[in-house]
Amino acid sequence: MTAQAGRAGTSPAPRSLPRVLGPIRPRARWQELRLLLLVALTLAIGSVSLGTALTGEVGLHDPWGLGIYLAALLGAHGAQVLAGRRTDQILLPAVAMLGGLSLLLMERLPQDLVIQRFFGTSFGLAEVQLIWLVGAITVAATLGIIVRSDSWLRRYKYTWAAVGVGLLLLTFVLGTEINGQRLTLQIGPISGQPSELLKVILVVFLAGYLSENRALLVEQDTRVGPLRLPPLPYLAPMVAMWAIALGIVVVQRDLGAALLFFGVFLALLYAATGRISLVLIGLVLFLLGSAAMANLFEHIRTRIDIWIDPFSDPLGAGYQVIQALHAFARGGLLGMGLGGGLPEIGGRPPIPEIHTDFPLAALGEELGIVGVVAILGIYLVIVQRGLRIGVAAADDYRSLLAIGLALVIGIQAFIIAAGNLKVLPLTGVTLPFISYGGSSLLANAVVVGLLLALSDKGVEPPPLPRPGSRWRRLTRRAAA
Amino acid sequence: MDGFTLVLWGARLLFLLLLYVFLARVIRALLRDLRAAAREPVDRPGRLVVLESPGGEPAVGRSFGLDVITPLGRDVNNAIVIDDPFASAEHAVLTYRGRSWYLEDLESTNGSYINGQPIDGVAALGYGDELQIGQVRFRLERTRA
Repeated sequence: MTAQAGRAGTSPAPRSLPRVLGPIRPRARWQELRLLLLVALTLAIGSVSLGTALTGEVGLHDPWGLGIYLAALLGAHGAQVLAGRRTDQILLPAVAMLGGLSLLLMERLPQDLVIQRFFGTSFGLAEVQLIWLVGAITVAATLGIIVRSDSWLRRYKYTWAAVGVGLLLLTFVLGTEINGQRLTLQIGPISGQPSELLKVILVVFLAGYLSENRALLVEQDTRVGPLRLPPLPYLAPMVAMWAIALGIVVVQRDLGAALLFFGVFLALLYAATGRISLVLIGLVLFLLGSAAMANLFEHIRTRIDIWIDPFSDPLGAGYQVIQALHAFARGGLLGMGLGGGLPEIGGRPPIPEIHTDFPLAALGEELGIVGVVAILGIYLVIVQRGLRIGVAAADDYRSLLAIGLALVIGIQAFIIAAGNLKVLPLTGVTLPFISYGGSSLLANAVVVGLLLALSDKGVEPPPLPRPGSRWRRLTRRAAA
Repeated sequence: MDGFTLVLWGARLLFLLLLYVFLARVIRALLRDLRAAAREPVDRPGRLVVLESPGGEPAVGRSFGLDVITPLGRDVNNAIVIDDPFASAEHAVLTYRGRSWYLEDLESTNGSYINGQPIDGVAALGYGDELQIGQVRFRLERTRA
């Protein structure tokens, strides 16, 4: 009867407004500063190591590039101190260390791998990467400072999903093909890889969908023989997801993105429901799909054949994988030292796509297994921070968003690291924060920025849920 | 071994060492954070925050720590007493089972609502959901923030 009467009067908006515009008090972030100083020292020593090995004289290699990078980090730290938010203090240093390693690596590779011209000046590999790194740090810090409400993500999840599907279709139709993969979208002077942005949109949508329907997925059962499945209509997004992943493989020939999307989807599904049966169904679907794909498409079969035995075609298809394995082998325990690896063959590095697909092999050669383990450790730290932020979040949506964002970075790093090491078939995803490439760096910066914003302890409470989603009302009516 | 080679090796090893010093410091910070979180009492799986209460009892903004079984109603023997003319004496029970919260309506006169929808018997709800008993509205929140 009067149950709905009081609703109109209370809206959280007036209370949250002064908070956004209110006075800003600087808040020191000593832990972050200490860790950043350690990052700076480490990178300076790395630069000395690189410079000494390359020139034969003791000194820093490219002090200007390193200086600009460290100044950008300090700026991001200073801006966060001034903004005074109680956000995470470990994510930025961890990302800064990976970015610094990327800078050292790109300075070390042949500069003419990438040449881009801006305003009549041409920039080489390291300079372009430095520009993107500074941009990425700016994006992450800015998002961490200004994002105070998640309602723009939460409310419009279907809009975001539509944007994502639109991007995907646009790439299908207008994308330019590079190395047999239709990944790059070029509109006028701007070119980028939409699949990098798509992974963020995917997490935003899935977190919204799963948090809204979590109770139904956990609670109700459809029994099929011995299996207890969730209600069948709720499996529809799972099947849709599977179809999209397969579509990416068929049209874009992008095995890595498909693997990443489906992996993140299954992990989030498990995080939301705790039902292992869903994950098992997903894995079975995935294996069936992969088997069918491998039978239907030549390029996928080639990938798998190379993975099983790269030495069957050492100068053709298996060339890259074998060279990467050799690089790891040359690196050994302590590595050849920065600048010590990669004897160039005729002025080219032995691995053609070393700056995008095989940075871990290059680092493995120069820093050895000891260095590679440290790098993988830093990725684990980032994932741990994300999961921790998710556990501490105030409601299900923020939990799932944080967990999904952290897992995107973790799973992507795993896929490409495993590809480099011949643990999984090689796929063309980037190593987050280390690989060369603007799209990849900026998309991962968005992930880190959102994680920073979500980690704030003093943030405004989650918005009130809308009175029942349309879908829920529909199913309720059907059940009644 | 001349000085140059010494510097080269020194820089290489120092760089690797510093990578691990960084990792060790970060992991120490993570452990400290986890230990601090573990020290906080976690015996209460959630809390109810009062969003709206025309009668003033319970007061708006008040937060109730929840037990695994929490009865709500107008009677003083309920864990959360709702002094509202539209609430029944034994109105509803909030329970935490497995990984989920459930609200059970105890055949109250005016019913219980989750996110504005009347529930029929037992219904599951998640953190962030809003429940209404009589004219009093609550939001279910995670205890640790």
